[in-house]
Amino acid sequence: MGISKEDLYKMKDETLGKRPGNWIRVGYSTCGIAAGADEVFRILEEEAKTRKLDVKIQKCGCLGLCSAEPLVEVNVEGVPHVFYGKVTKDAAHKIMDEHVCQKRLVENHIYEI
Amino acid sequence: MKRILIQDTTGNLKKEKRDLHISFSTQIRDRGLTDQVQVVMASDLGVYDRGLAVKVLPEGVIYGGVELKHIPDIIEKTIVKGEKVEELVVERKNKQMRIVLRHCGVVDPESFEDYVAHDGYQGLAKALEMGPEKVIEEMKKSGLRGRGGAGFPTWLKWNLTRGVKGDEKFIICNGDEGDPGAYMDRSVLEGDPHSVIEGMMIGAIAVGATRGFFYIRAEYPLAVERVQKAIDQCYAKGILGKNIFATGFSFDIEIRLGAGAFVCGEETALIASIEGLRGYPRPRPPFPSVKGLWGKPTVINNVETLANVAYILLHGGESFGRVGTEGSKGTKVFALTGKVRNSGLVEVPMGITLREIVFDIGGGVLDNRQIKAIQTGGPSGGVIPEQFFDAPVGYEELQKLGSIMGSGGMIVMDENDCMVDISKFYLGFCVDESCGKCAPCRVGGTQMLHILNQISEGKGQIEDLKKLSEIAHAMQKASLCGLGQTAPNPVLSTLKYFEKEYLAHVLDKKCPSGKCASLVTYLITKESCTGCGMCARVCPANAITGNRQEKYTIDPDKCISCGQCYEVCKFGAVLRQ
Amino acid sequence: MSSVVTMVKGFVNGRAVEVPAGTTILDAAKKVQVNIPTLCKHADLLPSAGCGICIVKAKGNRKMLRACCTPFENGMDIVTHDPEIVKTRITVLELILSNHPTDCLICGRNNDCELQKIAADFGIRDDRFQRILAEIPADNSKGTIILDPKKCIKCGRCIDACQNMQDVWALSFIDRGFKTRISPAGDIKLSESPCVSCGQCSAHCPTGAIFEHDDTRKVWEALQDPEKYCVVQVAPAVRVAVGEGFGYPVGTNLTKKLYALFRRLGFKAVFDTNFAADLTIMEEAAEFVERFVHGKGPLPLITSCCPAWVDYMEKYYGDMIQHFSTAKSPHEMLGVMSKTYYAQKKNIDPSKIVNVSVMPCTAKKYEITRVEEMFASGYQDVDIVITTRELIRMIKQAGVEFESLADEDADLILGDYAGAGTIFGATGGVMEAALRTAYYNVTGENLKDVNFKDVRGLDGVKETEVDVKGTKVRIAVAHGLANVKYVMEKVKAAQKNNEPLPYHFIEVMACPGGCVGGGGQPYMVTDEIRKQRAKGLYDEDEAMEVRCSHDNPHIQQIYKEFLEKPLSEKAHHLLHTQYKSRPLYVK
Repeated sequence: MGISKEDLYKMKDETLGKRPGNWIRVGYSTCGIAAGADEVFRILEEEAKTRKLDVKIQKCGCLGLCSAEPLVEVNVEGVPHVFYGKVTKDAAHKIMDEHVCQKRLVENHIYEI
Repeated sequence: MKRILIQDTTGNLKKEKRDLHISFSTQIRDRGLTDQVQVVMASDLGVYDRGLAVKVLPEGVIYGGVELKHIPDIIEKTIVKGEKVEELVVERKNKQMRIVLRHCGVVDPESFEDYVAHDGYQGLAKALEMGPEKVIEEMKKSGLRGRGGAGFPTWLKWNLTRGVKGDEKFIICNGDEGDPGAYMDRSVLEGDPHSVIEGMMIGAIAVGATRGFFYIRAEYPLAVERVQKAIDQCYAKGILGKNIFATGFSFDIEIRLGAGAFVCGEETALIASIEGLRGYPRPRPPFPSVKGLWGKPTVINNVETLANVAYILLHGGESFGRVGTEGSKGTKVFALTGKVRNSGLVEVPMGITLREIVFDIGGGVLDNRQIKAIQTGGPSGGVIPEQFFDAPVGYEELQKLGSIMGSGGMIVMDENDCMVDISKFYLGFCVDESCGKCAPCRVGGTQMLHILNQISEGKGQIEDLKKLSEIAHAMQKASLCGLGQTAPNPVLSTLKYFEKEYLAHVLDKKCPSGKCASLVTYLITKESCTGCGMCARVCPANAITGNRQEKYTIDPDKCISCGQCYEVCKFGAVLRQ
Repeated sequence: MSSVVTMVKGFVNGRAVEVPAGTTILDAAKKVQVNIPTLCKHADLLPSAGCGICIVKAKGNRKMLRACCTPFENGMDIVTHDPEIVKTRITVLELILSNHPTDCLICGRNNDCELQKIAADFGIRDDRFQRILAEIPADNSKGTIILDPKKCIKCGRCIDACQNMQDVWALSFIDRGFKTRISPAGDIKLSESPCVSCGQCSAHCPTGAIFEHDDTRKVWEALQDPEKYCVVQVAPAVRVAVGEGFGYPVGTNLTKKLYALFRRLGFKAVFDTNFAADLTIMEEAAEFVERFVHGKGPLPLITSCCPAWVDYMEKYYGDMIQHFSTAKSPHEMLGVMSKTYYAQKKNIDPSKIVNVSVMPCTAKKYEITRVEEMFASGYQDVDIVITTRELIRMIKQAGVEFESLADEDADLILGDYAGAGTIFGATGGVMEAALRTAYYNVTGENLKDVNFKDVRGLDGVKETEVDVKGTKVRIAVAHGLANVKYVMEKVKAAQKNNEPLPYHFIEVMACPGGCVGGGGQPYMVTDEIRKQRAKGLYDEDEAMEVRCSHDNPHIQQIYKEFLEKPLSEKAHHLLHTQYKSRPLYVK
């Protein structure tokens, strides 16, 4: 038996309720992957794990700013919500180190769009 | 904590940007605010051609044309007091509007729950309650027209298919996106597959279809993977299959892969391809709504069209219809590429001007070169020169300018783009992709391309321009399908707006943009040459020799006119003629 | 069952036209004496809409429409010829010509080419566009038909004929765009493909891109060789089609003029395949009675005188071989009789005999070397096959004023025939002829009415029952290979489910209409033409005194003097063959 309409609303509320406070989204469409999103995602996850950070790393589709891929959206309490574009391996480390841990924005990658 | 974001919006104020950063930092430190303010270099603040721009967070105020002298004011007023420096404020309006891409970059495309959390499948539930007539009525109110290019009203297409009697009906999602430089559909399928599935299911309710097909080109493996995953999730949750939401509605979806033929985006060729036949278009009538897949009534909608549907059901046709112009409702996604600073996908309300798209959203031309034109509609479209950039975006509006909306490719061209070369590119694409069925397209395209090649090689005659128009006319009138009928458009529109460039090639044997290799010669002026040897290093033909004392020279017999020396010379010593 | 025909009204060039709904603009225009030119449309086939010549304007529609495939609708106001339309047509034609060789003078279709004709009609006088030709070698691997893709205008007729009319699927378009060409799928040779040489592609090709393998030179050489004794035979369907090359009304039966002609060409003996058709019937009817009455061999019995069908069956229905009549086709029977019986009787060295068959068929060129039984006389039984189209060319080369020739008779004893022999050339004819004799074989008496009207006509599959003194014989007649499937699947289904056989006797002819619509017959065949040609044969049958093969005195004589009786050991050796399952694709 498939889900009912009511299940749908319940699922919505449950999913919204489980939303993490701190999250990072990595653009994970062809454009992002081609630009290196795979590596960036791996680094972010690894850092979050080893440093035991309270931040959820998620995948999402393409936001449209393909020239700025890999694009990473960071939403961490105490720091303005920003997008980082053209995120290199180095920048990925910095995002975890400076943005997430030190609550400072990372230089040269901000795309305020 | 406050943040000062600094950005050079022009691309050539590197030193000034550095200076501004240093001064801000110094003055912040001098005022003892270091702990409360972070100064950072940003990459893009969404404003362009405003010199140096500064954005202050968390207020979000943006200042343009910022110079060193403004720093104390900004610190005093904005950082310390939280006020604005009015004379510097740049109002940045977000000119994009997200309906189709509403979930792209937001939801996890591989998570059913995440889609549901964003009101997923509520449009479907609503459509099941409303029933076919009311769904079509809602679509009519929305004014949504097909986003595949032709702009046929979606409600009408559905209504026609609904009106045809048939024991079985099909709905097909056309994901055979093939225009060069266009990838809107791929992005939607990869970023938000569930919304397309939901749109297709609502369409199925409207027309009475029980089976759906995603026709996706095989070059989109990730899109295929994500759509398949989404389909599997739907089956697992009972969103697909029998008796959906216990309403008695049953629906199945399969994916079929396109093997890379552009013409299979044409609906009758697409149907032939799904049937396992050669991807040949067939004459219409009968239209697919009457006799489509396996002879059954079939409706075919483009990915972007379907991505709009659930939104319309959920928010109402009227609210959707308020966006856009009289004839063109809603938004359109463009793949903005070419010589533009921010290439990527943009979704804009219909009626926005081309200038706003290119300059306000796209950030203008790369490297601050002079813009020449934009090309819309892919190989079926045409070029629109800068003087028409204030025209609003809409189906009829673009057609009036000799181009088309098409599926949404928008390519920016600058002064270095040669219009004969552009014609050759697009026509060459259609010649390669012609299915070969009908003579006007098969032979006409090849002949036109032959003539264009002659012209670009300096062998063109003035009669050739007449021949081009004649063949173009025959192709437009006598080709069987849209591919052949529209293939001459890029040639015709460049001929219309840039005839001078053609004449320069034909009469003067010159390519004004320096693109057509046969018509360009490069030479090095001894006066400007510093003897650095960069040109010789990049020359792929070993045509450049010399040394620091005697300077460098190009051997015209060896030169292949690739222009690499011209690009690389920092001293303007390489001349193009 | 009668259905109401909806009529639609509109205008063509300002003249009111009323036609049944579904009529194309092309056909609607003909009602007011307007011919819209087209290169790809063939009355026999579905419109491919490929050439783009038949474009017309409909008032209120900014696009031009293809007249060949667009239905005429209520209120339509069509303009077929205005300066813009004509100009566009000319440009399209010039484009097609720019991709076509100009070696018309040495092309097999010279003077009989649809492209050449339309170019002449349109007064094309110069090459305005660069001639761009692909160098693709011709495929002559089959020896029956030749594929010359250079001359192809991609109208798709051959492919429609091969795939839809004949269900053979040997030909398809491969590659795309400007490089599109006709070829067996996978770019293999025709001889490696499922091609059965039916020749329908060549009969429908508007240009010289698909052409019968021309064997006329071989015939001329044999005729000029004083050492050779040239013998000719002419198939039933040829006599009612050859006249089309000389302005005779379609269906005119020119049998006796042909005999006269052959003698003028230098043939030493002039025979008729119709005689051998009678012989085939004697064997096949006997075979049927053996199986039907005496249970010796499986039913249904399936006719095998069509070589394209034989090839098709071996490739597509290899599991049905035991149902095939082992009787050879008539011209093969005549070939072997000519080199044995006739040679002995006339005391001619059979090695000197050159048997030439004039056939409506391209597959007959393949049949003559098909298996070793085709050499039953000790020599190749039939040496050369030419088609009706080749014969017409030979007549024109020979400088014989064909129309003025006085009638002559064929040579005895392989030239005299019953009515049953002549109707072999039309679909249903073999069945009808066989039934006449089978009835006699079973009952010992002749039918009161020898006409089996139910098996005549152009319905794709004809099914009926024949009452043989209280016993029902269920029969089916299929023509056009696409219609075979229905009949064969019905048989297979019955066999599988152990149900009563749907049929006892099945006739198949590969070409629509039977041999009158054969792949070697004159061009531009339509159902109307097929009917007229068949009528020419049925009229002849009707007018004959001897209607049944077994009543043919010369047939009786040949059994008495030489073959003993039907299915005798000698008959088996000389007049029967065998079959084997063959792969669709040869590697």
